[in-house]
Amino acid sequence: MTTQSLQVDGAEVRFSPGTAAIRDVRLTLTPGKVTALLGPSGSGKSTLLRAIAGLERLHGGMIGFGGEAWSGQGAHLAPEKRRCGVVFQDYALFPHLTAEKNVAFGLRSGSRREKQTAAMEGLARVELTHRAHAYPHELSGGEQQRVALARALAPRPAVMLLDEPFSGLDRRLRAELRETTIAALRAAGTAALIVTHDADEAMAVADEIALMASGTIIQTGAPDRLYLEPVSETAARLLGDMEAFDATVAAGEALTALGALPAPGFAEGAKVRVLVRPEGIVVSGGPDGLEAEVLNRRPSGGHVKLDLRLPDGRTAQARAAITDTHASGDRVRLTMDPRFARVVAF
Amino acid sequence: MAVSDAPYRASPPRARRAGPNPVWLAVAGAVICAAPLIAVAALAVFGGWTDYFEHIARTRLTTYVVNTLLVGATAAVIAGAGGTLAAWMVARYRFFGRGAYEWLLALPLAMPAYAAAYGWYDLTSAAGPLSFLPTVRGPFGAGLIFGLTFYPYVYLLAREAFAGQSVEAYDAARTLGCGPRSAFTRAALPLARPAIAAGLALVVMEALADFGTVVHLGAPTLSVGLMRAWAGEGSLPDAARLALILVSIAFVIFFLERLMRRRARQSASSGRRRPPQRVALSAPLSALAAILCAVPILAGLVIPLARLGWRAMHAPVARGLGEAAWNTVLLSGLSGMIAAGLGLSFAYALRTRRRRAAFAARLAGLGYAVPGAVAAVGVLGLLGWVQGGLDDVWRAATGGPFPVLLTGGIIALVFAYQSRFVAAAIGPSESALSRVTPTLDHAARSLGAKPMEVAWRVHWPLISSGAALAGLLVFVEVMKELPATMILRPFNFNTLAVTAHNYAHDERLGEAALPALVLVLIALGPMIWIARRITRTEAARREAEADLAERTGAGWQ
Repeated sequence: MTTQSLQVDGAEVRFSPGTAAIRDVRLTLTPGKVTALLGPSGSGKSTLLRAIAGLERLHGGMIGFGGEAWSGQGAHLAPEKRRCGVVFQDYALFPHLTAEKNVAFGLRSGSRREKQTAAMEGLARVELTHRAHAYPHELSGGEQQRVALARALAPRPAVMLLDEPFSGLDRRLRAELRETTIAALRAAGTAALIVTHDADEAMAVADEIALMASGTIIQTGAPDRLYLEPVSETAARLLGDMEAFDATVAAGEALTALGALPAPGFAEGAKVRVLVRPEGIVVSGGPDGLEAEVLNRRPSGGHVKLDLRLPDGRTAQARAAITDTHASGDRVRLTMDPRFARVVAF
Repeated sequence: MAVSDAPYRASPPRARRAGPNPVWLAVAGAVICAAPLIAVAALAVFGGWTDYFEHIARTRLTTYVVNTLLVGATAAVIAGAGGTLAAWMVARYRFFGRGAYEWLLALPLAMPAYAAAYGWYDLTSAAGPLSFLPTVRGPFGAGLIFGLTFYPYVYLLAREAFAGQSVEAYDAARTLGCGPRSAFTRAALPLARPAIAAGLALVVMEALADFGTVVHLGAPTLSVGLMRAWAGEGSLPDAARLALILVSIAFVIFFLERLMRRRARQSASSGRRRPPQRVALSAPLSALAAILCAVPILAGLVIPLARLGWRAMHAPVARGLGEAAWNTVLLSGLSGMIAAGLGLSFAYALRTRRRRAAFAARLAGLGYAVPGAVAAVGVLGLLGWVQGGLDDVWRAATGGPFPVLLTGGIIALVFAYQSRFVAAAIGPSESALSRVTPTLDHAARSLGAKPMEVAWRVHWPLISSGAALAGLLVFVEVMKELPATMILRPFNFNTLAVTAHNYAHDERLGEAALPALVLVLIALGPMIWIARRITRTEAARREAEADLAERTGAGWQ
């Protein structure tokens, strides 16, 4: 097992001159840690993954592993030499090989019997030994995904890259496979990068999330920190719903209709945005706060979502306990919970 | 919760395709295919004018054109009706022997039309055992023979269309008050019409290209006129002029077919595709269906083949049969292998999605509309010019003429065959390679395989049977080919087709029978493999599609 990490530094890939698919990407993948790369479609996630795997060449910056240069500065290590295990979005199982032969494909050394044993061990890790002799078209979607995972893990890669590995599966299966996948990745102890456009999924699987938008990584951190401390409106929206209010800094505070929030580090008179998660918009019992009208009440899990109209005409969303009895048409007063609010540059 | 409302994209925005990139090879192949045709046009326009063409134009040209049209139309009607009906029964009903009929119905493709013509003419002529039937002769007789031997083109394409068609259109028609027959004509048939039209185009192009049948049955078409201009008058430019008329008719049909195919693509992608369940037929209807399906196989293959066999048993063995058989297998095998290789390089070139590659493939596809005799005339003209050019250079250097190298050799023959048949090899290769998605390459690379290793461990197992299919298709076509072989074969070089034709032409049908019989028997093996494979892969693909639609719900979109 390795303790070396994968470094991406200022990576850039251009598909046509002038337009970069990814640019100035900085990322570190640490062994034993699962990093989720979260971003909307077309933000460059897959391109970054492919660049790490050596399937795209860099036009700038570098990718290295430990002391070894993989991409950049004129160098390009061939994909087959990188020890990157990849689980492709369509799984890319070889249709002419059985599950076992698929898993054995990447095993280079050892006798035929040793390879077979190793492949069966790989299938055992994903609980598929009973399907060893099935061909890909005979496997269900979830089984195919697990074979693809076992196949990528079999050669003991230094880095595991998973491109939307759960996207083709139904919701129930997805949750189940997440568990299996993460357990297998942790058991292998490699550095892992999971590409996804699903924020819930990223939060569920990752030790660390890297947020990607318009070809670059805008914030990296633990899931809860990212949720509560976004660096920008874009970063905040990637992880979930939120309301944004314009404000001006006065006496070190950003003043909004919902109340004031400390704005350290912003100049006096600066225009800022105040970002509030739905959990931070509180329906107060008392007479204080901003008056709003309830437009709609939708129970969701253990709480209710209230659609509100604010005095300036805009709509906002608040979250309240399921015991909250406000109905459509009610007038309520709103305050802000500063723990769920954040001041960012305009 | 999805971060973005942007439509979900299944593949990376720009999937790089790895693997060989033989765009230049495909372009070279396309030039090979197109060159003879260009040579024909050049010959027709710039070649010397004799009064022969004027003579033809005043006397026989009308007969040629009328016969050509009559033969083509008759073939289309018979092949269209028979092929469509057989396809509908096999695709939609369960009856006795259905599984076997599914591929048996394709086998008459192993029967050269002229061999079927020998058999049927012999059976129905005054001295034959079926003389109570009208004698199979003239343009309608020739059209009938083409219908019987080429209907599998319609059958194969229509069957795929019917089987892949969503059953809902038919069901909807039934709930809207249509009986089974009117649901067929108003819902199922219109959806399959582009496929049927594509099959018909192939039938008519084959009929136009034929020489042996129309000569034997006394229905001289433009192909015959072309052969007479070349063989009788020795006038290549006049042959080229007739060829140009023939090719124009073929091209009109070819482009109509392309138009239809484009429409087929549009109609295929709409609606949820639920493959139809076959309807079980009651015992008497089942027997009727089995008998109906047997008719085209008997008429197109078994009966004429049996007559040839009977004839062969009562006649001396044709001289040089072994050598002719060897030559045939050698030529067809060589052409098949070259075509499979070219087909694969076309498929790889198309995979790069370069516009140049698509253009090259389209150009090569034109070849199928070029009758063999036309391709041969083009090759002769082309090689003649090359030879002439070499002569000049050689004479300037040495004072003597350049040794005859190119014209009338095996190379010229193979050249003409590729020009005509490589189009048949592109389709199977392309569909085989379509199974090799770019991510398979990437998966193999990320698992440590070097590019060449990817080619033989991943690509080859996936495309080899497609390449074999392409090669065997061309193998069978080249075996049956007659006019190009007659024009271009080296002196004293005979194939089974040429041997059979020469004996039949001398009214020595007994001696013609054995070479024809051997030819069919050799072609039958590959044809059985082809028919079974097409049937199997088609069914597997439909099953996979239905399965996928079920699993992902994608079929609802």
